Amino acid sequence: MRNVAIVAYAQAPFVAVDEHHTSTEILYPQIRRALADCGVEREAIDYQVGGSADYVDGRVFGFVAAVDVMGSWPPKQDLHLEMDAAFAAHYAWIRMQAGDCDTAMIVGYGKPGEGELNRILNLQLDPYYQGAVGLDLASTSALQASAYMARTGAGDADLAEVAARNRAAGARNPDAWLKQPATAAELQKTPWAVEPLRQGYVAPSCESAVCLILAAEGKAEKMSKTPVWIHGVDQRAELQSLGSRDLSKSASAGMAACKAFEMAGVKTANDVDLVELSALTAAEEMILREAVGLPARGDGGPAINPSGGPLAGSAAMSTGLVRLGEVYRQLSGKAANPVKNARRAIAHAAQGHALQHNLVWVLGNERRWS
Amino acid sequence: MKRAVAVVGVGQTHHSSRRADKSMAGLVREATERALQDAGLGYEDIDAVVLGKAPDQLEGVMQPEQFLVGAVGAHMKPMIRVHTAGSVGASTAITGVTLVKSGQFRRVLAIAWEKQSEGNAMWALSPNMPFIAPLVAGAGGYFTPYIRAYIKRTGAPGHIGPMIAANARDNAGRNEYAHLREPMSVEDVTNSPMLWDPIRYLETCPSSDGAIALVLADEELAKKGPRRPAWVRSGATYVEPMWVPGRDQVDPAAGRRCAKTVYEAAGITDPWNQVDTVEMYVPFSWFEAMWLENLGFCEIGEGWKIVERGEQKFGAHLPVNPSGGVLCTNPIGASGMLRLGEAALQVMGRAGEHQVEGAKLAVGHAYGGGAQYFSMWVVSSEPR
Repeated sequence: MRNVAIVAYAQAPFVAVDEHHTSTEILYPQIRRALADCGVEREAIDYQVGGSADYVDGRVFGFVAAVDVMGSWPPKQDLHLEMDAAFAAHYAWIRMQAGDCDTAMIVGYGKPGEGELNRILNLQLDPYYQGAVGLDLASTSALQASAYMARTGAGDADLAEVAARNRAAGARNPDAWLKQPATAAELQKTPWAVEPLRQGYVAPSCESAVCLILAAEGKAEKMSKTPVWIHGVDQRAELQSLGSRDLSKSASAGMAACKAFEMAGVKTANDVDLVELSALTAAEEMILREAVGLPARGDGGPAINPSGGPLAGSAAMSTGLVRLGEVYRQLSGKAANPVKNARRAIAHAAQGHALQHNLVWVLGNERRWS
Repeated sequence: MKRAVAVVGVGQTHHSSRRADKSMAGLVREATERALQDAGLGYEDIDAVVLGKAPDQLEGVMQPEQFLVGAVGAHMKPMIRVHTAGSVGASTAITGVTLVKSGQFRRVLAIAWEKQSEGNAMWALSPNMPFIAPLVAGAGGYFTPYIRAYIKRTGAPGHIGPMIAANARDNAGRNEYAHLREPMSVEDVTNSPMLWDPIRYLETCPSSDGAIALVLADEELAKKGPRRPAWVRSGATYVEPMWVPGRDQVDPAAGRRCAKTVYEAAGITDPWNQVDTVEMYVPFSWFEAMWLENLGFCEIGEGWKIVERGEQKFGAHLPVNPSGGVLCTNPIGASGMLRLGEAALQVMGRAGEHQVEGAKLAVGHAYGGGAQYFSMWVVSSEPR
């Protein structure tokens, strides 16, 4: 196995809608900042891979425009995934294991504020059964929350508590969208998004763009004084059909975590100092905590979403990569809201309705393999 | 660290303008079943699944692989969705190769598909962008200026396009899976309506429903059989920007670089004489002459002369697109992988009636975007 590290990261602060810039105009400064962060020019990067979705861009071939700001001249080795950009980072890591590149630039972008993301995500469901009945992301998330609450007995107050903790953390993250803390009692007064999820328990859809740079051992140390090493990673998809899964759990997140821990030599999630989860609702956070082997509620273990998580700001197709970036900030000592003595962390990304497809990373500030 | 990778199974659907007998999942399943059967394997033998298709607006389903997880046997497995415009089928196969090469996965199922009858490709490929004049002309209207520039630069005579189209159809007649197989003469092509001068109706690719799947395996598993595999000698995907001063859309730098990279890695110094057959992405007739030059099979300005001399025909010096190519079968997202898969079938010696005799080394190629995305592989009957 090859040691690979994150050596740079830049994110455009979340905003609900950026009315003055296109998605590529938001992306370009992040690429420049990330390159500056690791002190190299574009020519030092062997490979580039983007994560975005044409439906989020509201056009066909949205990613083709991004190629223009990625420094693709003279021509570059490249790939684009129609997935959250965290999955693009996973592929770049695989490519380094294959020995096909030593450095890679990963970008995530989109412009969900131009459309109604919640309704657009109806088109993600199979068109014959689930899509045809008009389900959108809010409804499938609510079905999932109901299933979780029915199984565990969690109530409205529990969801409010999870959301309030994220909002308090978000207040210390300069890139967050919702920077005002809110108490559980206040959040319990917000109107239903779709019962049992209140608006205060659901991630606000924002715009952003992200650039992250990976480098293999040998290059990574030269590009960063504080590289953050990948110790383990795995991703798993499961069936989409809501009726064919136990929505109160996330089997694929559990399996991805298990495999990633195995690669990382980590026994349990309690062996890490912080966890960044792509939880789009308070209920998803509880389901994911359980899936990676943490208690669904309460403090005491690793810090959960010290960035405020998606509940403080989320941008379709970038949210997962932001989790990886937030872990990089924490473990490299660059976080505005540092977790004390953080040395090892978990980052999680998801896509699809009700946590259909999950990706789990374990990272640390020491090399994994000698 | 460099592990050998081979194609151990190839399966494609019968392609047509409307596969009304199958849902999207059924169509994809038809290809994956055939590929697994070909490899003598089951879904349980697959470690990861890679899917590719062109814009989701073609069918109106966002990230459709998510509802296809069950159909392709990806439940509780790693899954990757690739989208690199028209080249996507090829880049999906290359992604699969990288997965195996990484040592993380021993057998990977790579799938590419498009069910164009679900939507309207002309609409989907005529984006109306802010601040950019809408062409409302689909891919043909977009690529015509490049073809005209090629003709102007090289002085190629007007009958080259129709000759390429008629030859492609002749080839497709030998491919049982091809969409358009009815024979047609150069005169038939010349007499068909002009769409985007100089491209006539019979010089354009069809809209097809279709899918293809490849099973890729590491060296040890590939040698276990049951059949002789196609060894992937090299593969690469390159891109260049849409807007950059000095860009040459007729002879794109990304295409040249991609070809150079895969030839060097495969030890090819003289493509014209070393390569036995090539499957290249020709959606409009003239691109066959253009890509012969861009891929280094001849000098600039010589591509159309190869066509005029008939040296790219089936049974001639370098058979180009013995399957009939994109001009006869075009499920967009699958078209690139069909090129790579057909190249693999040739070196496996299993291309049936369109088998190029004694093919040992073959090239598969696809392009996409505004002639920006290039993806190629070199496959061989022999391991390194």
